[in-house]
Amino acid sequence: MATNWTERIRAFCCSPSGFLTETSPDTFLSELLRELRDDRVSYGVKVLLLSPLCEYPTLLCSSESAGEETALDLMSVFTQCPSRFSQFRCHLLVALTGVLVCSSCVNGHSRAALDFLDLLLRMARDASDPPGEGTRRLLRATACDCLREMEASCPGLLSQRLELLAGLRQLETSRLHQAFGVLQILALRNAVYQLTKQAGAGAAHLKALLGGNGSVAWEADQEAVHMDATDAAMLSSLILGPMGRVPTLHTGPDCKELRSVLSSLLEESYLLTPLCQAALFHRLTEVVAMVPGIPPAVFRAQLLRLLGTNEVCLLHVTLLMKCGFTDSLFSAEDEAFLLKRLVVLSQHPLLSSPEKLFYMDCILHFPENRPISCGDSDEAPPVLLTPQLASVLLPSVFNDSATLLSRLNLQALVFLEEGDEESRGLAYIYDHLAALLHIVDRGGSRDIVVTFFRAAFLFLFYFHHVERYATCLSEQLCHLYLQHTRLAPHILNLVNQTQERLPECKWFVGLLQGLQRVITRVPFGQLPLHDLSSHLKVLDRVAEEEEICQRSSLCFLSTIVTQTSSSLCTSGDWRLGNGLLGVCRRVLLHPNLDSMLIPLADILQHLAFHYGDTDIRDHARLYYTFLTMLSREKLSAVLVQSAAEGGGQVKKRTLSCVMAESEGLTNTLTVHQTEKPIFQLTEALPGPHQEAENLQLNQEDEYKTLECYRAQFSKSGFASLIVLKYHLTHTEPHDPRFEQLFSIQLHFSLTDDHYEELQDISVPCLFRQGPPPVVQLTLKPRRPYPTTIHASAIFTSKDGLTWHTAMPDIHVAFQQVFLPLPAPPTWSRASTRDVFECLWDEMRHETGESCISLFCCQLGEAALKALVEKHFHSFLVPDPLEEAAEFRALLFLPPKSHMLLKIGSTEDAAHFNMATDDCRLLPQMNSYLLKVTSSLENSVS
Amino acid sequence: MSLRALWIIFYDKGENASVRFSRRFSTVEHRAKIMAGSSYVAVPEDRILLKLLLTELGLSSPNKPYVADRDDCLYRPRSPAVELRLNGKATLWPVLAISQGPLILACLPLVDIPSEPRPPLASLLSVSQGLTFLAGLQTFVLGSGGKLDREGLDSRVAMLPPLLLQVCPLGTPLDTIPLAGTPTAPTAPTSTVTQKQPAWKTGLYRGRASVNVAVVETVRSMQYGNQSRQDTWDVYGTVTCKCEVEGVLPNVTVTLTLPPNGSPLQDILVHPCVTSLDSSILTTSSVDGADGSAFSGPYKFPFSPPLEPFRLCSYTSQVPVPPILGSYQLKAEENNLRVSVSLKLHESVKNSFEYCEAHLPFFNRNQMAVADVKVSSGQLDVSKEKNLLVWALGQKFPKSREVTLDGKITFSGSSRGPSDPLCTGLTAYIKLYLRVPDTTLSGCCVDQHSVQVYSSAKPRISTCKSRAMISKHFLCFYPYVKLKVVSLCGPQPENFSPKSTTSGIQLAQPPCPPDRW
Repeated sequence: MATNWTERIRAFCCSPSGFLTETSPDTFLSELLRELRDDRVSYGVKVLLLSPLCEYPTLLCSSESAGEETALDLMSVFTQCPSRFSQFRCHLLVALTGVLVCSSCVNGHSRAALDFLDLLLRMARDASDPPGEGTRRLLRATACDCLREMEASCPGLLSQRLELLAGLRQLETSRLHQAFGVLQILALRNAVYQLTKQAGAGAAHLKALLGGNGSVAWEADQEAVHMDATDAAMLSSLILGPMGRVPTLHTGPDCKELRSVLSSLLEESYLLTPLCQAALFHRLTEVVAMVPGIPPAVFRAQLLRLLGTNEVCLLHVTLLMKCGFTDSLFSAEDEAFLLKRLVVLSQHPLLSSPEKLFYMDCILHFPENRPISCGDSDEAPPVLLTPQLASVLLPSVFNDSATLLSRLNLQALVFLEEGDEESRGLAYIYDHLAALLHIVDRGGSRDIVVTFFRAAFLFLFYFHHVERYATCLSEQLCHLYLQHTRLAPHILNLVNQTQERLPECKWFVGLLQGLQRVITRVPFGQLPLHDLSSHLKVLDRVAEEEEICQRSSLCFLSTIVTQTSSSLCTSGDWRLGNGLLGVCRRVLLHPNLDSMLIPLADILQHLAFHYGDTDIRDHARLYYTFLTMLSREKLSAVLVQSAAEGGGQVKKRTLSCVMAESEGLTNTLTVHQTEKPIFQLTEALPGPHQEAENLQLNQEDEYKTLECYRAQFSKSGFASLIVLKYHLTHTEPHDPRFEQLFSIQLHFSLTDDHYEELQDISVPCLFRQGPPPVVQLTLKPRRPYPTTIHASAIFTSKDGLTWHTAMPDIHVAFQQVFLPLPAPPTWSRASTRDVFECLWDEMRHETGESCISLFCCQLGEAALKALVEKHFHSFLVPDPLEEAAEFRALLFLPPKSHMLLKIGSTEDAAHFNMATDDCRLLPQMNSYLLKVTSSLENSVS
Repeated sequence: MSLRALWIIFYDKGENASVRFSRRFSTVEHRAKIMAGSSYVAVPEDRILLKLLLTELGLSSPNKPYVADRDDCLYRPRSPAVELRLNGKATLWPVLAISQGPLILACLPLVDIPSEPRPPLASLLSVSQGLTFLAGLQTFVLGSGGKLDREGLDSRVAMLPPLLLQVCPLGTPLDTIPLAGTPTAPTAPTSTVTQKQPAWKTGLYRGRASVNVAVVETVRSMQYGNQSRQDTWDVYGTVTCKCEVEGVLPNVTVTLTLPPNGSPLQDILVHPCVTSLDSSILTTSSVDGADGSAFSGPYKFPFSPPLEPFRLCSYTSQVPVPPILGSYQLKAEENNLRVSVSLKLHESVKNSFEYCEAHLPFFNRNQMAVADVKVSSGQLDVSKEKNLLVWALGQKFPKSREVTLDGKITFSGSSRGPSDPLCTGLTAYIKLYLRVPDTTLSGCCVDQHSVQVYSSAKPRISTCKSRAMISKHFLCFYPYVKLKVVSLCGPQPENFSPKSTTSGIQLAQPPCPPDRW
């Protein structure tokens, strides 16, 4: 096949879900496996073909059995692949590991997994590699990594192989010793962990484990490996905090064997890459933590080397070691040194920014020997971090934004700890914030603006109680706003977040008041129109606060709408008008409305008469009417959106005209997504097939009959449709929001190209109580194969919201495609018979796509008769000799395929002689017959 | 200690950001699923991830001034680990992302401890491992440096799969991506050798032994010419080595020495190939107060070298004076700006430069029309964009060790020059670029005779030639408008630099005296 696999694989990897809607995972998998077995395909392409299996094995092999089959296939590819294609063989090992682990074959100890494990161990042991030849070594290294991954995913898998692994590592002088080393320590760690879970396990068990003889057959070990796949704890890292949480193995001081293994690993740790060293030390820390018989001092020889390192992961693992062993390995002096080191590293000129930020995070979660707070995940500076020490991490305007915010956060925490509001440190931080504000004021970039507001929030979060600074910040913000009204969304965001996050802090009210003050004091002549929209947004928010008097806001509105020089009313800008109305609307809800009745009424009246936009005029009139006619209670009942409450939404819809621009509308205008399917299509029980009218009309010549029949197909669209009936019903469990649904638009999408695209179907309504509507699905096959159709729907719920929902897939079975012979209505039974005979004769010769076949099964005569009655009744062709013990059925499969059956029985066996003009239908027919007969067989037996 | 997925993203000003490479590690994902249980969040497909990541990094919709998802003040990007907010409440954490220029590299480390409540980053070894891995990947992708374009990136990315197969086939990295062009020297027969080959050594060297050691110091300084503000400067040095020595695990020792009375080296960081360290080497730290009793050498570094050149160690030093003292005066006159600069080379510094240039950028003004400026030494140029004076001082300062620049500049050009939120009014700066070979400011040096190589053949050792001092962001300020507070006592303003667009490396604040308050 000339498929461009590079393109296809790329398409798959870009969007697997999208790709698989076009084809099914099984089909794609079988295509991949076929290509992998194909000798004509180059190994470069084959490597590519493996990538879906490496990256998405769960998508392609959804069950354990599918995984096992795939793995067996891949293993056979592996054994047949010449050894010189080492890259491909390595990729195969990786794919196999992925498939076996992800389809749970490894945990289930399936045959394939055992074989694969055997293969890997064999390869790892195979040291016959001539030196200097890298290909075999690459394969061994990959095999080691696969073993490690399997051990990691299924802990304890190699617990009986510890001696073998240790031996392999010790003998290896090439760089491969690293792969064995990390594999060995992982297996050791898991084995020790398992021992800690065994009651009464001790030194003897540990000794036996370490001497575990590698020659023991794998199967014999199965007993020992009873790891529960879901034991997530075993996969987790054990270093969380103080040692108390680590399960321990009581061995007494005598564990020579373990000691020698550990010291040999430690001695050679220097030879590993920093990444592997870090992993090794981490696992070693876990092992030593689990076996109290081994003192943590075994690490001491390595400590200086680790503390001086420039590698972030090595220093990090040292911190984790400290977390695990605290003062049994690290003295108070060490602790002070380590902290200073972290501070230095957090601002070291030669380190990258992410590394420095990470070190700063480490400072805030510093594993102290004697922690005061219990080790929760909150950030807290260690006791040793004095303001003086932390002063090297003061933020500066030259920092990038992430660094700046991290430093600000750290300093804030340090000063908070210090608890001195008058400290110079706090003044410094505030000055820094003010410096940032100046930069924003002078036209800083978007990044600086965002950073400033985040810094301001952080500052408020920690120091909102320090009135001096909070007030000062508020004033400066007001000033800033007036210079740069485009910052309104940022400022309002700050207001909303402080209100929400700091409920006891009323700082935001002060800020809003300040904003109101600066806006309303702007002389009218100096008010650019483009600022007005921001001002109105801010005033809208100000009017939400009950504590703030709205008189000055109203004065401001009154000025801008009534000033004769104002072009606002005449311009009739709808947006600005809406902004104006938004503020008025808020004021209508304000508790002090009574005192503001007249100015508000004036504004509304003016708008209602003079504004240039009809819509705004209408709204203003409506508000005016509300204001003058309704009592306060009614007014708020009309205007307050009982947001998102069931009944409220009806009101929202009907009174949508009373809504301000900003609220609710988006909710009603958005298409919401349901979490799970709301309704489904269930197959309606088929009514009786319409009996072909039996008109004994003119008998025609039999050849002519067939021609006549065939001639019908020249008409386009003849007998090409299958109509399937479904009921549209609610799914369980039901959701009260979706009791009554309206305007349902069903949309179908095909998963293959066997059928023409389907039209959307509209259903006016669907009620839970009430008969389910019938939906007719009209399929136009290109090829009469079973298929799956994705369905989705858009509908309106009772509260007026529009929803999109996915529906369960519709499966069209093979038998649903069967139709009776589409003979002209005027035909007699005899003509049908003639067509049957002629077709059968033609097909018997197996020309072209035609072929015949035989299906047999154990079925008594009566049972057979019942079966035919049940499944083939409407397709039966009358026999000339009514008594013959043979049924004839003619299945028509649109657009133009036929399946002819002669069904008879001899003694205990039933014969289904089949003839068809499309041999590709035979497998489908076969499985269908298998299905219907086996169900009958079962019921008979 | 494993990665669930890895991405390489090319980001070209937001319009056409695309994932150029991605890799998912299925077995690690399988473990993530088991460990997280009900709180498991699957890795989204690339296009969704791209959108979320750009939002989180503040790079999405670059033309919109405010986007709620991107700019919420509540949200503090806890770089280097960001949290991607998927539909609903699900979040993907911790996504490590590092970006440089148009390149964003990201990976998702496995959280190997219970994820509820969210553990601190510091408790996940996979985070630091991920950072190391990404840094290696970055070096690989950026290759020989220079500008990275999409094609260049794609060609590097095409080389990745076989390399990943070697160092990280299943998501648990064994090593960082090896640098392209690292020679994989043929392995010598190892049959008789019982010594194990270090995993970080790609092969064995055969040939004449040679050891090359270079010390380079970089000085940064901010000078304000203002009594109220303290000038700051700092020095940091790196010692790089290239060793070609036979043997599986040869021993080399390099010793750094300071002149008598030299201030001790601080904050020493060493390469992992250093076999052992004396604790006294590590104890001196820039965050401690200066202590007369501090260890001041000699600093011995025994190590076994890898094949490629590497940074043996780095240090910082507190030198008593900056190498050059500058002053910068600006005065606004009718229609023009009067500029006067003087630079004075300290007597202790060798007066012999490889290059020395002073840059005087002007922001928030029109282009220069007339620059009537005289210099006492060197040569003056106006940049093509007419917003920068480049004063090339040549190889030597005059005998007096002082140079001056005086003159008037008229800014009446037709178009507006670059803008900067800090350099408004008469606030401006000079930036000095210089390199002095064969000298270090701290006096630190590697004596040729102190390099010990335990090898049969006598090695060729070269050290002296590669001692140098260079400046990075050496600035003199003229803060006419008193910028509130801190702004100018910090470090080099990266965003000031006309070259900053290409460098993009952010440097931290220099150590400042702890008793600043």
